[in-house]
Amino acid sequence: MEAYVGEYASGKSEVAVNRALMLSREGRTVTLVDLDIVEPCYTLRPIKKELTAAGIQVLAWETRDTVGLGETGNVIRAENRWALKRAGDIILDVGYGVGGSRTLNLLEGASDDPDLKVVAVINTSRPMTGSVPDILDYIGQLGRVDMLLNNTHLGEETTAEIVQEGARCVAEAAGKLGIPVLATTAVEDVAGVIGPEDCMGNPVWPIHRYMPKTLW
Amino acid sequence: MSVQLAMPKSWRIDTKPHKFCPGCGHGLVLKALGQAIDELGIQDRAVYGCDIGCSLLSWDFFNVDSIQTHHGRTTPVITGLKRANPDLVGIAYMGDGGGYAIGSQHLVNAAARNENITVILVNNTQYGMTGGQMAPTTMPGQKTETSPYGRDPQKTGYPTQGPEMVAAITREGAYVARGTVANPKQLKGFIKKALENQIAGNGFSFVEVLSTCPTNWRTNAEETWKFVEKEMTKYFKVGEIKVPEPRHEEGK
Amino acid sequence: MPEKPIKGEKRYFMTGNEVVAYAALAAGADIMYGYPITPQNEIMHYWTRMAPKYGKNFLQTEDELSAGFTTVGGVLAGRKSFTATAGPGNTLMQEPVSMAEAMRLPIVVVVQQRGGPSTATVIYSQQEVTMTTIGGNGEGFRIVYSTSSHQELFDYTIKAFNTAWKYRFPTFILGDGYQAKMRESLTMYDPEERGISLVPAEPYVGKPGTPGTDRPPEQYRNTYNVEEEIYEVVQNLARDFNAIASEVAEYESLAADRSEVVVVAHGVVSRAVKEAVNELREAGISVGYFRPVTLRPLAEKELREAADKARVLLLVESAHGQMARLIKEAAYGCKAEMIPFFKPGMGITAEEVAARVKSILG
Repeated sequence: MEAYVGEYASGKSEVAVNRALMLSREGRTVTLVDLDIVEPCYTLRPIKKELTAAGIQVLAWETRDTVGLGETGNVIRAENRWALKRAGDIILDVGYGVGGSRTLNLLEGASDDPDLKVVAVINTSRPMTGSVPDILDYIGQLGRVDMLLNNTHLGEETTAEIVQEGARCVAEAAGKLGIPVLATTAVEDVAGVIGPEDCMGNPVWPIHRYMPKTLW
Repeated sequence: MSVQLAMPKSWRIDTKPHKFCPGCGHGLVLKALGQAIDELGIQDRAVYGCDIGCSLLSWDFFNVDSIQTHHGRTTPVITGLKRANPDLVGIAYMGDGGGYAIGSQHLVNAAARNENITVILVNNTQYGMTGGQMAPTTMPGQKTETSPYGRDPQKTGYPTQGPEMVAAITREGAYVARGTVANPKQLKGFIKKALENQIAGNGFSFVEVLSTCPTNWRTNAEETWKFVEKEMTKYFKVGEIKVPEPRHEEGK
Repeated sequence: MPEKPIKGEKRYFMTGNEVVAYAALAAGADIMYGYPITPQNEIMHYWTRMAPKYGKNFLQTEDELSAGFTTVGGVLAGRKSFTATAGPGNTLMQEPVSMAEAMRLPIVVVVQQRGGPSTATVIYSQQEVTMTTIGGNGEGFRIVYSTSSHQELFDYTIKAFNTAWKYRFPTFILGDGYQAKMRESLTMYDPEERGISLVPAEPYVGKPGTPGTDRPPEQYRNTYNVEEEIYEVVQNLARDFNAIASEVAEYESLAADRSEVVVVAHGVVSRAVKEAVNELREAGISVGYFRPVTLRPLAEKELREAADKARVLLLVESAHGQMARLIKEAAYGCKAEMIPFFKPGMGITAEEVAARVKSILG
């Protein structure tokens, strides 16, 4: 069970989707839960069908159910509340907000589940998490965080150097926080340049871009 | 023997005589306000905002920086000004239509947020400038152009109890009073306290003033005073409604 | 307390709303007044996160009327003040904007367009063009920048504060829900380090000295008694607005003076148009584009030149003819035939634009 949290537009959804597909390809049973309660009509809804076809159970809104959701703002789908009770791997895509990882309180069993890991996704090209002090400051406001993940990129301008620079920065922040780095993520071609490990010795997960289909 | 004109120092002499109707209460309210500004010595940092309706005729009334705004919108303009520069003393001057009808959401929310401004609202029981229509403050049975058979509370409700409402939704520190042009000395005292309360940084200060509109009431002098002193006071109680508690010294 | 939010220059990966908040800080804005409405909310979210760190202020008001009028109050106090809104909020915003227009108050308003009419969608449209350019009970004496990318959101938000305080007309940044939520990279910079000087704000009221003794009182009104009086006021506003129009108006174009078809689009749609036009031109097709950056005032002279030389102006927008009305008025009497391509509330792709151009050329 992994919950991906982090700054707005840090790449949480993209990482969560790729992680779910990665585990699914290993033959595991995977449930992907859209916990973006702030922007429920954006995020995973538009790619739900595609992910379902790939063998993943997706708990997210259907287009036909989204009337007014942009207006209501914070809303959680009833089924998602019980997501942790499901069998197999659970990947949670948690939306942003000052609530931080406290959004997980909305899930039954989140506080005492020993298998749940809260992973903060960090992109050092985001101004709010652009340096080690900024990251420490940001993580401090987020609430519970068990691991960091380096998802540093600059959209289409991403290079291996940018990702590696992010890896150094995230690893230093993780060291100061006393928590591990789960991985570095990078789009497939950049990941190919970097190799299986980043400059700090953390595993590199190649990711494929799904979120542009959802607008982002 | 020369006569000493009782004109406040903060009045702008070159715009006098003012344009309000003979017998109108605005002149008395603005005199009380002028005296309060003089006594507090705030002519250099007071900013006066007036609404639409008869109150707008006061846009150049004082030797004080002034802004004439839109109908009901003086409260947010003065709020924005005060938030941007807390050294100014913000005065929002309006009628009953501006404060209790079209701008009521602003009055309610500025009061609830305890905005550090002073609102002076003149209640003459109808819309004067648009031609004497029914206002939120029109008395039961009172005839206006839009209540030609007299205001029927069953159909159009009872007059708004503004200061009582503001007192109910403000925090401690707010100052709320209802004065009357029939008692200018008391009125000046209320307005002065309202301004002092803002200067002290305590929060929202609100004075409603029972006022006269002989032109729209079609009353002579005697009937005018009878209406404001005898009729309006049956419904609108004059006096201080909320006064900040004396500050407790630390440790007590 | 750090003085500046941005020092030096750096590439960042951001959402549009966030860019606006950073740009307002970089522009030296002092206070934001706002009321929640999607899709502009993150401008407030980021402003409120950063404001205390830089000694800036924020007030969440009871509605957009109040957000607009408090912004007016902030400007009167001599502070760089702004607000942000969308859709039905923009409708309410028109009342305070008309006061700013009448009294030459340099308020800055960011609009992230959503679908209309009414509540409609929170997502995207270009349906707030008419309201933003000529809304309110007035004549549209305001400046409207229609941005198309995060870099432009940053550049033009900074510029909007300068334009507003230099010319003293209310100034809009007209974005949309796509730009608000979209993620892309941009360079953020400190404008002064780039040699862009920030036009200082000045108080309208509360100036030094006692009115009547040391100086005359500052007294502002927007109410007038007779036709002749308001006629003179509006004539003066019109004269001043027209005098700055050519200095303020901005546009971008490609081969607009030498193509059979010129595609006209603004905002985020112009990105699809540029892409389509570039591809078609590579294939040897006689097509260009004209993109007004300012929708008010329009770059009329250049637009009319294009409209006189082209056979067809293809008017492309995510609205039912709101930009088209502005273009047709400005190009009245010009030779080109005006062909609409309207998709109200929908995004428009380069492929669609290319297909439409090809069908026009047969």
